This record gives sequence, structure tokens and C-alpha cells, in this order.
Amino acid sequence: MTDQEILQLYRSGEREKAFHGLVSNYKERLYWHIRRMVLDHDDTDDCLQNTFVKAWQSMDRFRGDAQLYTWLYRIATNESLTFLTKQQSRGGHLDLEAANRLTTDPWFDGDKLQLSLHKAIAQLPPKQKAVFNLRYFEEMPYEKISQVLETSEGALKASYHHAYEKVKAALKAEMDEKY
Amino acid sequence: MNEQQDILRNPACRENPFQTPEGYFDSLEARLMGRIAEESAAEAQTRTTRPVWRIVKPALTLAAMFALVFGMGYGVLSLTHTLNRGAAVEASGYATAEEELIRPASLINYYQASLTEETELDEETIVNYLASELSFSDLAEIYAQSY
Repeated sequence: MTDQEILQLYRSGEREKAFHGLVSNYKERLYWHIRRMVLDHDDTDDCLQNTFVKAWQSMDRFRGDAQLYTWLYRIATNESLTFLTKQQSRGGHLDLEAANRLTTDPWFDGDKLQLSLHKAIAQLPPKQKAVFNLRYFEEMPYEKISQVLETSEGALKASYHHAYEKVKAALKAEMDEKY
Repeated sequence: MNEQQDILRNPACRENPFQTPEGYFDSLEARLMGRIAEESAAEAQTRTTRPVWRIVKPALTLAAMFALVFGMGYGVLSLTHTLNRGAAVEASGYATAEEELIRPASLINYYQASLTEETELDEETIVNYLASELSFSDLAEIYAQSY
């Protein structure tokens, strides 16, 4: 189902079908995006539910000047950033603690390299982490990331470059230490 | 960029190492619908209780403002009345018994204070004082004692 079809169903009053289309189309993409940000499955589930509930409750106000796709990604990213900011304000680098817990997480099946990578990403500032994840894992064009994060493309390119160098340096340091 | 040292170019890095509990995505839609229904019910509940408050709130605000203005007015009037009362008493020549007791005391204080300063009493003042306060026989006796 396309974004246009979902919006048409919603506007014609076929809300249940529209909701089904919205969730079916975006549940996995948004889940993985949030999961890379917050790492823990339960926290991801909370953020994902908040994303869909907020999106559904404000569908009336969706003007259609942005794509449904970028609008949903924006809500999901904001939910993740809010979650991470709250975590940090409660005390310290809880995102790093979450990265350390990956070793015992039953829903993490990565090898040592992937574990080190996600620990390195966890040390990035939240917004830089969002830029890195959207570009590196999802290969989202800068133009789209710019719409999602409401930041200029130039600033995003600089932010991604800094994030990339930091992650690479952190990974290299860890590899040099181990081997 | 040294590609040999760039671990991020390794395709394994881009692979997804995360998993979800079995059936998570299948049950997500139903759980979301349940949550939205709950929130809508809570919203409807709030809407039903809100009209009563919506009617009562302006009336209470108005009453509180009226009470405040009345209280302030009453306070100002009470204060003004207390201040004006002394002047009114002076003007009418009427004073309570309490005020009668206060006034001589104030007068005595004034005279005591003025006596501490160096004042010169002229002869006429002394003569007038003695004439008004003493009888003729008293004056004669004082005179006899002096000479």
C-alpha cells in the first residue's frame, strides 16, 4: 500500500484499513531505526508504540507537504532522542550501559565486531548517532535525512563525517587493544 | 582515508545483529489498536468531566476576583477612615475620654521638651502667670517674705 493510498483511506473514513496500511508499511523499518538508537528491545517497543500512537492521533493535522515516510521517521527519531535525553538526565551514560548489556542481551546475535561497533556508536551524542545510523545503516540520502532531522544538508554531511571518524577511531583502538 | 584501517568498510558491520521476540511484529498492530482504544476512552472520559469544570471555572474566577477587589477596597477604606478620624475629631472639637487622657500627656511632653532648650521668660509672662495662678493674699505673702 502506498502512502497516498493510506492517506486516501484515512480521509474517506476507512480508518481501520488506513491504520493497518500504516502499521504494515512502517512497523519494521521504524522498529530497526529505533532499535539502533536505543538498543534495548523493550525500550524500542515503547518508543515504537509512542511513534504510531502520536502519528495516528495527529493524522488529521498531517498536511501532506512532507512524505508520510519522512514524517513518521521524524516522529520516531524524536521519540528515540527524547528517550536517550531522559536516560542521560537520569544519570550518566545509560546508552553506554545499554551497549555493555548487549553481551548478555538474548535479542542480540552479533559477533565481536558488531558488538564493538554498537558500543562505539553508543558513545556518539544522540543527534549525531541518528545521523550516523540513518546514513550508514539505512543509506538514506542526505536530502531525506535533512527532512527527517530538519537540519541543513551541509551540517548533516559534517556531522556524519565527525561521527564516522569517531566510530572508526573507537573501533580501531579496541581492535589494537585486543589483538 | 586509509582503507585498510577502515573497519567500517567491512560489509559485516552493516548487517543487522538485533533480533525480536517471536511473533513480535505480528502482534504489534493488535497491541497498538488496544492502546489507541484505551487512550481514546480516557480522552472521552476527560471530555465528559470537563464541561462541568468549564462552566464552574469562569464563575469561580469571577467570584474570586470580586472578593479580591472587595477586600482591597474595604482595606483601603478602613485605612483612610482611621487616618481621617483624628482630623475630624480636631475639627468637631469632640474627643473620647481616652483621647482626653492622651492629649494633656502629649502637651506635658511638649513642654518638657521645650524646657530642655534654653528659653528666656520675659517679665510680662511671669507677671501674667502669677496673676492668673496665685491669689492676691499669696502674692502679698511672697512679697513680705522677699523683703
